[in-house]
Amino acid sequence: MTEPTHAPLHTVARGRARWHRVLVRPVLQRRARVAPAAQAIAFVIGIVLALIAGALLLWGSGNDPVTVYQRMAESSLGGFDALSRTLLRATPLAIAGLAVAVAGSMGLWNIGAEGQMMAGATAAAGFAMVAGDLPGPVLIVLMLVAGAVGGVVLVLGPALARAYLGVSEIITTLMLVEVAIRIVEWLKVGPWKDPESFGFAQISPLPDKASLPGLFGQVHIGVLFAVALLLAFWLAVSRTAWGYELRMAGSSPATARYAGISLQRKVLTALLLSGGLAGLAGAIELSGTATRLEPGLSSGYGFAGIIVAALALMRPSGVAVVAVVFGAVLRGGQSIQTLGVTSSIATILQAMILIGALVAAVLLNYRVRWVRPVGSGADGDAAENPASAGASGV
Amino acid sequence: MSEDAIIGLLVATVQFATLVYLAGLGELIAERAGVLNLGVEGMMAMGAVTGFMAAIATDRPWVGFAVAALVGMATAGVHALVSVIMGAGQVVSGLAITIGGLGFAAFIGQDAVRERADSVFTDLSIVGLADIPWVGPILFDQPPVVYLAVVLGVAAWFVLSRTRLGLALRAVGESASTTDSVGHSVILLRTSAVLVGGAFAGAAGSFLSLYMAAGWTEGLIAGRGWIAVALVIFGAWRPGRLAAGSLLFGFTLALQPRVQTFDLTILGLEVNTISPALLGILPFLLTVVVLIAISFRARHRPSPAPAALTLPYRREER
Repeated sequence: MTEPTHAPLHTVARGRARWHRVLVRPVLQRRARVAPAAQAIAFVIGIVLALIAGALLLWGSGNDPVTVYQRMAESSLGGFDALSRTLLRATPLAIAGLAVAVAGSMGLWNIGAEGQMMAGATAAAGFAMVAGDLPGPVLIVLMLVAGAVGGVVLVLGPALARAYLGVSEIITTLMLVEVAIRIVEWLKVGPWKDPESFGFAQISPLPDKASLPGLFGQVHIGVLFAVALLLAFWLAVSRTAWGYELRMAGSSPATARYAGISLQRKVLTALLLSGGLAGLAGAIELSGTATRLEPGLSSGYGFAGIIVAALALMRPSGVAVVAVVFGAVLRGGQSIQTLGVTSSIATILQAMILIGALVAAVLLNYRVRWVRPVGSGADGDAAENPASAGASGV
Repeated sequence: MSEDAIIGLLVATVQFATLVYLAGLGELIAERAGVLNLGVEGMMAMGAVTGFMAAIATDRPWVGFAVAALVGMATAGVHALVSVIMGAGQVVSGLAITIGGLGFAAFIGQDAVRERADSVFTDLSIVGLADIPWVGPILFDQPPVVYLAVVLGVAAWFVLSRTRLGLALRAVGESASTTDSVGHSVILLRTSAVLVGGAFAGAAGSFLSLYMAAGWTEGLIAGRGWIAVALVIFGAWRPGRLAAGSLLFGFTLALQPRVQTFDLTILGLEVNTISPALLGILPFLLTVVVLIAISFRARHRPSPAPAALTLPYRREER
């Protein structure tokens, strides 16, 4: 692309924006092809930028960044126990991330994974209350099924509205997050209040046999579910006609319709599957780490799952990697509390990794070129003439 | 149920309405320009904590309010940079603003948590009007931010619907390429709208920390930013309807802490048995219902949603 072909037009069209003619300004040019590894590089750049920004923040607040980062690294990656604590947090992140990625691979945004996790945990806890007499393994399996059903129930309305009425799923799923959390709050002080809890209300604890069996260290068998689900989704998306159709429906709806694929059914399946997975993540989190249902159970895993899926470009392998990195950040953030540093640094790092990676990905896809002002007299005159001034109004 | 209790409920309704109206108005401006900003919750938290700290430091609530607006604007600037200038996805970028903003606010506000707010907004009685029974205390004996919100609402309506700038802003929300082709800078218009939206959200956050709660805690915003996002849809992207919606949502927010103290029976339902948590669901459920209703109506007339909402604009792909 040669410069003069559109630069003068640019200048004329913006007669009022005088700074365009004075400043050297950057112009982004999109590269013809994106390198396959670009997103991985962007992710690493995002991590580095986030760590730098986080270090400045720590330093500015009177902490020693080296000490803090050292503690974070040791407690999340240094040794068997540390790794198991990281994996413990990576498990719900991976399943929630996968949930978002299933919808995302056909261009849908399930922003409500957080709510569906709560719905799943609620359904699982409810099932454990009514069917507490079942033997442990049966109870756990049915709790997980109930969890998936709970997630599906919460996403059903938005999914139907999206598939048959074209209502954007972004806002509807988001709204139901607040609904789900408030329902748990209501259960806590109302129908499910533990009669033994005086002072402040709590939901009755789960029976011991409802806890997922441990695997190693801090890790429970939920991590196996995460790995199996990621593998299954990878196979489904890359090796089956169903997955191919799903991606085609997302990338080119017109082609998909022409090929005889029912878009409505694809939208419905993708969103229901997404909600079911998020619900399962909630049930696993409840049964694996919590002793009882509470409104803060999901503690942001669902929202973080959206970031995980976005960073992973909706690919299962990426979800696994990003979930482990974010799990380490969360574990590290928790560990520095003993140094007197708030764990909110973990949340800040997550957001900064995403922002850094988003910017880096754009920059890797684009070439920044600095355009000199087109300072010739002719252009300046053209911008002042009445015809072009008229063109700048709507 | 006493007269005082009813007046107290309505006074709080106006204040909660102001809170969500300010934040919602900012979101409305950004969305009319075609940019969905899901970072309201984070921008409010940033405004709340910095406004509170600035007010303590300077002993002037208005300084805190101004600082909060500027910080909200700066926070929104990140969203503008990533989603408008860089053209990355608005949904993810906005969520990052919420997550990062909440974390950042918690981080910088650690020491402010136990601070007492000596310098907060005080009620401003409007001479003459404040003495009217019922109406006076509810409408004319409120903190100055309430009156400011009314002025800002009228100003936003005027700019959006009666000026060339407003026309350009709405145009860029309907079709960025058309607006670009007539010579307006899409990036400049959208960035400005997002920045103004951030200023409104930051200011709204400080109304929470400098008046309503008169303090800062980590969970202060408590979903009110999401209510603002919902409100824009409920108000069909118009400042006037936004005001009506904010009164309704404000009423449910004001009712929540009070409902169980009301000794009242309506249609055989004892009001004090209503759960505050379930009451809190109402704004979100209503918004879902409104979205579905809009889509039904859209078969006969155009949807009120800006057509280019969430669509990034890259000139070379137009």
